[in-house]
Amino acid sequence: MANYTITLDILYYIQYNVINGDIMTNESFDNVILELRRGVIVLAVLSQLSQEQYGYSLINNLREGGLDIDQGTLYPLLRRLEAQGLLQSNWRIEADRPRRYYVISKEGQTLLPQLKQEWNSIVTMMDKMLDMERRVS
Amino acid sequence: MNLIDSYVSEVGRRLPSKTRADIEAEISSALEDMLEERSSKAGRLADDDMVFEILKEYGDPEKVAGSYLPERYLIGPSLYPIFWTLVKVFLAITLIVVLLGLGINLGQSAHDLQTGLQILGKAAINLYTSALTSLATLVLIFAIIEWALKNSGKKVEGLPLNKEWDPHSLTKISPPNRIKLGETIAEVVFTFFAIFLFNFYPQVFNLGYSTSGNWYIGTGNWISVPILSEAFFRFIPYLTLVWILTIVLDIILLQQGYWNTLTRIFSITLKVINIAISAAMLAGPSLIALTASSFPSTLSNTQAIQILLKILPQIIRVGLWLSILGNTIEIIKAFSSMISNRQFAFTITGKSS
Repeated sequence: MANYTITLDILYYIQYNVINGDIMTNESFDNVILELRRGVIVLAVLSQLSQEQYGYSLINNLREGGLDIDQGTLYPLLRRLEAQGLLQSNWRIEADRPRRYYVISKEGQTLLPQLKQEWNSIVTMMDKMLDMERRVS
Repeated sequence: MNLIDSYVSEVGRRLPSKTRADIEAEISSALEDMLEERSSKAGRLADDDMVFEILKEYGDPEKVAGSYLPERYLIGPSLYPIFWTLVKVFLAITLIVVLLGLGINLGQSAHDLQTGLQILGKAAINLYTSALTSLATLVLIFAIIEWALKNSGKKVEGLPLNKEWDPHSLTKISPPNRIKLGETIAEVVFTFFAIFLFNFYPQVFNLGYSTSGNWYIGTGNWISVPILSEAFFRFIPYLTLVWILTIVLDIILLQQGYWNTLTRIFSITLKVINIAISAAMLAGPSLIALTASSFPSTLSNTQAIQILLKILPQIIRVGLWLSILGNTIEIIKAFSSMISNRQFAFTITGKSS
């Protein structure tokens, strides 16, 4: 519920600026987009780790899927998700170099469908809300 | 050591030792992956330019290390408003005391411009050092409270931070049982100052005079005589113990957020000990060290000295009686709160009827 409120606040902020004719600076716009994307990173990461992947290959996969995420955000996030028990990791030597592979844990597998369902309801809710907004304006 | 190793170690030295090696290995592996991809895209072997490029992309080591660390506060948002209030109070008190001292000194000694400027300069230095000491001590006390609250909340099982909130707990927090946050923290700060001054700077309680007949209280280069006697300072170890226990009680109260029977009994016990110490002070030898012989004959016969020697013991006696009275009232209030809390709990749970 708190996430919905934050998303709505951000959308309201965008809308408010558009209605009032204020020109948002590039920096403000980037910050809002960053906030919006931050909310979906966990779901995106969990959805890509049904098979083992090391950090850099995961970054590339996410980028190919359209989500550009930098290392400074991803690696600490992977550690946090592992600490929460949603991911598992192990070190492996490949091409004379150690690489840490991450994969979704059992707990993560249980959580993922619930997160997907939650995401779908957010999308439905937002579609409905934006549709209402379109009709009003 | 190559550039990547230097970068990784720059990040690592900002991380806690427990996780450092693991995070360093992961960053190193990620950088090697980036370099490999960059080299394969460029169709040439990796060189220093490529390494500089990927390191710039990865970011400032300080920022990278920061992304692995939780938010840390010396004084967190919950304590900051109280801290800021006390800073203002302390700075205001310091300013008033220094200005008063300045006024007295200027009135008594500034016979010419040069002396006046010297007194002003001394007052400015005094204000600066006193304000800095007050501020530093406040920061230290609050940092300790923040640390204690954070650690106890994280590690000790059964504390409010670890428990799921239960509406039934409201029955325990009847209005008289809720602690007054500002008052409790102010008590910690003032008690800390009392411990500090009486144990490490007893000379602050000296009376100084110069041959010209000017007076001041505190440390200085003039002739100074102690106001309080040895008999008084014999009570300091007992008072210090009570003050330390008071701080312990306050920290427990800050963690819990409300009074319970145990903390009430703890507080009542401390107040009883306080009364006993005050009574012993009243019954014992004089707590004032000043006598007519403390001053040269030129001063001891003055009316000011005669009045001072007469009223000082009276002030101490009145102060001790007030302390006994205040502590007794506090004990009665604590007992009454314990009884009313019981009635409050009965009313809430509906057991009274």
